[in-house]
Amino acid sequence: MSQKKEMVLLVGDNPFHGISHLSQQRSRARSENINDPQYCSKLVLTSLDNGANGFMFSVSETTLSILKAIRRNRGNRNMELYAIVPYAYEYVRMATQSGGISGLAKQIAKKLVLSGNIKALATGFKGLISMDPESLLKSYMLYEISRIRSSAGKSANLRSVFLHEIITEMAISLNMHWLFDCFIDFASTIGITPGFETRNFVFLMNKLTEWNIDPRKVLIATPFNKAGFQMSPSREGCERALAKAPESNVIAMSVLAAGYLKLTEAIDYLGTLSNLKGIVVGVSRENHAHETFQQIRKTYE
Amino acid sequence: MNECDVQMREVGRTVRIAVVGIGKMGLLHACILNALPGVKLEAVCDKSALIRRLSNKVLHDIQFVDDLYRLTALGLDGVYITTPIPSHFALAKAVYSEKIAPNLFIEKTLASNYTQAKELCELASVSGGVNIVGYMKRFSVTFNKAKEMLGQATLGRLSSFQAHAYSSDFADVRKGSTSAGARGGVLSDLGSHVIDLALWFFQDLKVESARLKSSSVPGSEDAVEFEVMGPESLEGNFDVSWCLKEYHVPEFGLTVHGDKGNMTVSDDEVILEASDGKMKKWYRHDLGDNVEFLLGEPEYCQEDKHFVSSILENRKSQPDFVTASRVDEIIEQVRGRINIK
Repeated sequence: MSQKKEMVLLVGDNPFHGISHLSQQRSRARSENINDPQYCSKLVLTSLDNGANGFMFSVSETTLSILKAIRRNRGNRNMELYAIVPYAYEYVRMATQSGGISGLAKQIAKKLVLSGNIKALATGFKGLISMDPESLLKSYMLYEISRIRSSAGKSANLRSVFLHEIITEMAISLNMHWLFDCFIDFASTIGITPGFETRNFVFLMNKLTEWNIDPRKVLIATPFNKAGFQMSPSREGCERALAKAPESNVIAMSVLAAGYLKLTEAIDYLGTLSNLKGIVVGVSRENHAHETFQQIRKTYE
Repeated sequence: MNECDVQMREVGRTVRIAVVGIGKMGLLHACILNALPGVKLEAVCDKSALIRRLSNKVLHDIQFVDDLYRLTALGLDGVYITTPIPSHFALAKAVYSEKIAPNLFIEKTLASNYTQAKELCELASVSGGVNIVGYMKRFSVTFNKAKEMLGQATLGRLSSFQAHAYSSDFADVRKGSTSAGARGGVLSDLGSHVIDLALWFFQDLKVESARLKSSSVPGSEDAVEFEVMGPESLEGNFDVSWCLKEYHVPEFGLTVHGDKGNMTVSDDEVILEASDGKMKKWYRHDLGDNVEFLLGEPEYCQEDKHFVSSILENRKSQPDFVTASRVDEIIEQVRGRINIK
């Protein structure tokens, strides 16, 4: 492979949530250790020792426990955090059990009050009184960031917060330009890079152009893999959009197509993409962590 | 030229849709529809004042109304009903009687019971237009592969099948909680998908026996097992539960046995085991699963495209009300066996 540039290599959290997009049977068959935050934190730290720069995770009770364990065991390792909010599965489940979207809103308000985060509460109260969606979004973001910081420690290097794909897809399909502007402005004021997770990369890039948003100011996490898995509308379309992107701001996810591809196949394909900023890969065993990050790092050194 | 043709000519190539009920499924369809070329989400109808107030502030080019009748003047091509099941019947009747739109999509199940379902079939037949029920598993590449193999008699003469539909939605729910009951029972909410798939695969089924397993409150429909008979002495078993741990992503699947081999199909994969011991496996990845706009699973986009193209081409869509009403019939037979009204 001819490509030589500094890549952001992140360990992802899908295996820790018991998610496999290849087969649910496969996720159920994984070792019970994967439910243990100590075990997961060890996998993250092993990944860091073998070439990863950081950890990309959806903010949930599971990953917050892992962050706490990492904080205790990290030593002097440097680690960047890339958070994704909200953790969709948790919220969908909450909505299911609490009677839909109205019930979900009440549950979130309750969690916000119990968190005791004064800034988030004040912003949220203002948003609720005036039905101001921007204040509600900021309040929610402050709440999530405070959860991360209280678990990872104040010195943790939170590089970016991504909007979960469900929110990104909703915003781009329903023309919620205000949400992107508001999120980008808010992230900038607190010194983190705004990010968008999407499975509709081409659609997103077209929207950024339409909305006059500079893609260089944001990060995008989106699937790139040889199988074209979850690449909408097509692998070729996504590759063309990536090649046209003005600067490397794309973090490739699903690079193994959920375990469908071998690591070497995945790396060979990624090597054909000249405009990636980084790669995120989930690991579920120690030997995976060693092998995966050593091989990818070696390729990009 | 029928009313539908006239309307399509008037609106050109843009299909104008309204969604009634902006819960999880309503929002999902609203997003996909508005992202599809040639489709415009014109309006949303929801009775929640909180959701309407907030939505009015965040969505600027979509109308929000609290009353279905306020959609009448919009000249819509189609309406999606994505409200809780008990309201489907009254809303669908209103859409037809008030001529709110000629084409109707109803999230599964078609109605609360078979009597209502049959009435909606008659209404749809009189009203014309396209009608469809949201059994989106039919649009999944894995289940389509399985259907194709059954159509080619790959398994030979079929003898039996086992079907399952599992989720963890109420795995941790406290004893005495009524939240599961508000969803209308596991048969309609979860089991209906796999019943529809079995009807699609095997054409005709009749319930022989059924058992209920309640978790939250006595008599609540949390888990159901039932047996069916199909054509040529085909025996089938269904196991449906929303109380199982480790199914955070709901899972649907069937294993079919024939004299030339067995086939197992789920959302993720199709496995064919021939009687000579040869095995073949297809994942989603192998079956061409890309869509124009991916939200949730690809089958949602495929389903919405099918409805829209059926409108544009003025042809029947599947599963239409008549096809889908057979799921309500099976559910009614099961509930009759376990004495749930």
